Amino acid sequence: MNPLFNSLACLLALAMSAFLWRYSNKLIKNSLFVIGNFLFFCLYSALAFDLASPMVENYPFRMLALCFCFSTTSLNHKRRRYLVMAQCFWLWVELFGGISLFYRGIDISWTRIAAIGVGCVCSTFLSNISKEMEFCLMVYWIAIWIMF
Amino acid sequence: MFKKLFWIGLVLLVPGATSLLYSLYFGPGAWTTDGFTFWGTPISLFVFWIGLSHAGTLISAVLLCLDIKLDRRTSMLAELSTLCSLLVAAIFPLIHLGVVPNFYMIMPLLDGRGNFSNLGSPLVWDFCCIAIYGILSFLFFTIHILGDTHRHLRRMYKPFAWILFPLVLWVHTVVSLDFATTFVPHWRGSFFPIYFIVGALYSGLALINLLLTVEGYRIRLLEKLMLVGSWFLLVIWFWNFVLKGEWYSSAFIFGVLFVQFLLVMNIRESRWGRGLISFSVLVGLFLERYFLVVPYGETFVAGVSFGIVDLLMILFSIGLFMSVFFGLRYRMATNLEHNEVLMGDVDVKKDSDVPVVPIYQVLRFPFLCGILFAMVFLVWAYSLLPYETFDLPLTGIIPLSYPLIAFMAALTLCGKAILSINKMVPVVFLALLLILFGIFYGGGSSQLSNYKLESANLENHEIPVEWVWKAKCASCHGVNGGLNQKFIREFYPVPQNLTLERLDSLGVDSLINVVTYGRGNMQQTVDKQTARRLVQWMYKLAKELK
Repeated sequence: MNPLFNSLACLLALAMSAFLWRYSNKLIKNSLFVIGNFLFFCLYSALAFDLASPMVENYPFRMLALCFCFSTTSLNHKRRRYLVMAQCFWLWVELFGGISLFYRGIDISWTRIAAIGVGCVCSTFLSNISKEMEFCLMVYWIAIWIMF
Repeated sequence: MFKKLFWIGLVLLVPGATSLLYSLYFGPGAWTTDGFTFWGTPISLFVFWIGLSHAGTLISAVLLCLDIKLDRRTSMLAELSTLCSLLVAAIFPLIHLGVVPNFYMIMPLLDGRGNFSNLGSPLVWDFCCIAIYGILSFLFFTIHILGDTHRHLRRMYKPFAWILFPLVLWVHTVVSLDFATTFVPHWRGSFFPIYFIVGALYSGLALINLLLTVEGYRIRLLEKLMLVGSWFLLVIWFWNFVLKGEWYSSAFIFGVLFVQFLLVMNIRESRWGRGLISFSVLVGLFLERYFLVVPYGETFVAGVSFGIVDLLMILFSIGLFMSVFFGLRYRMATNLEHNEVLMGDVDVKKDSDVPVVPIYQVLRFPFLCGILFAMVFLVWAYSLLPYETFDLPLTGIIPLSYPLIAFMAALTLCGKAILSINKMVPVVFLALLLILFGIFYGGGSSQLSNYKLESANLENHEIPVEWVWKAKCASCHGVNGGLNQKFIREFYPVPQNLTLERLDSLGVDSLINVVTYGRGNMQQTVDKQTARRLVQWMYKLAKELK
């Protein structure tokens, strides 16, 4: 997988997260933004990577999960709950996507899964999420995405 | 109304049941299969109904966890539909097995019966996960029903929902892995776990909306969620199309296009309009699952090979669901219809008389017990003898971990409270434990043989592949590849008949995968290089047999 396009995907996920949850009570509008983002991630994955590679199959889902993680930092209410849930979603995509790929001869990235798992568990202890902590969390997710 | 629908269900059930008996008598050849379609209608129906069964609890539990208030009637219908759908879903894998009485041999009891289930197989995970899900859904429903008269049970309703929330997602993910871990090109997709969950939720929303329409009620939130679900599923189908070039027009028309009529006010305000749209989603989603299992897709259904047995099986599943669901609903209507706590609107004042304890405090001890239980299972699994001769990868244990944790956590959470409801409950509980114990040790434990796989050094690539075949494969598949008839009649599961047509349908990669990692009760056997040689040998035998 091309590291440049992989890093660009992370940047795109960060940028697109700014469009999520802008209409706090509007289910349809919020959903349309999520689906629009997801469609964009699908198109990006199709254009940037080789579709014959099994690793690309769940790439848009991974981007969506990362986008959810970034978006939770701008929430006003129940931030910790949704922060943990977004990371759990990411963990889910990585773990079960990895198991599917393992049966096709591709090794599971245990380091990435462990790093996300640690993030999930540690986030449950965050009682007050300050601006600095938001920044640290975002750096942590970007590091997981790019380095592992 | 409920009585009429119950009778309609019975009318569908009776002719459908003949197909069931026919299938049990003739085995897997009864329904439409060929070299490319080896799972067929029963597994399509299983995936469809298991999706509906997951959605009921998911909707009830998830909305409860996220503090979104549903009226109690909707939660009750969702949970009841879960149990009825689960009953329907459980029948089809049993028919598909061909040897129904031996179904429990796939339980992950390791060497409890002298037959070592392969923990690396998604089929084994499936059985374990669905069995645990069934038990916990029943407990959840029981707590809901009895919560009216037993306040200490009502306190456990929300913590229980937090245990079920990940479990439902986990179980449907494991169902998706049945497909995703294979090498069949049509099923390749590491995105299947999310795809299946979205499909299950969407079809479940349609079912709940349909049931609510029958009752003369509507929940606008659920209609909006159904609309959103259709868009999300459409994008996933688009991604599947980009990856594999597969597109099913009929599933799109019924499953997604018709739902957009919910945006038209006149249609969504009409009871018939809402009902038909929900029914259309169910038809569309069934077609999607059918096309997923049957690789011919739409051309297959249009062809003459879709048999009467397949059609009757579909009628049977609908009839069974309708007769059980509306039969129970009719009973509930006479006993519980005017019970405000169970069937009324959400009343915050009434809920507030239940003392609020933080969920974390309630759940920490049960979850610790669950984790301990899963760890004991893990240590036990790794300490067993067969793993001296082959690896048990972590990927084989992980899918079983959360269901085991949830099972023990749920029992710890509400075990004491349920035991105190009635004096007979502990007796029934003890009897169930004894039955489980009997199943566990029914066949006796496996004995250590002096024979060790390493001693034969079968992975030495200089050894003729024929020897490896005779040592490892011939006991089930036969020396000439034509099945060891005597052995397989006394043993489950019946191994695959390795005809040339079937080998071609699976492809070399898929076969190497199965030989290397095992599947169902077939253990992982050799390294990939030897597996490749064995597959070549299989082709040679298949050509000779032909």
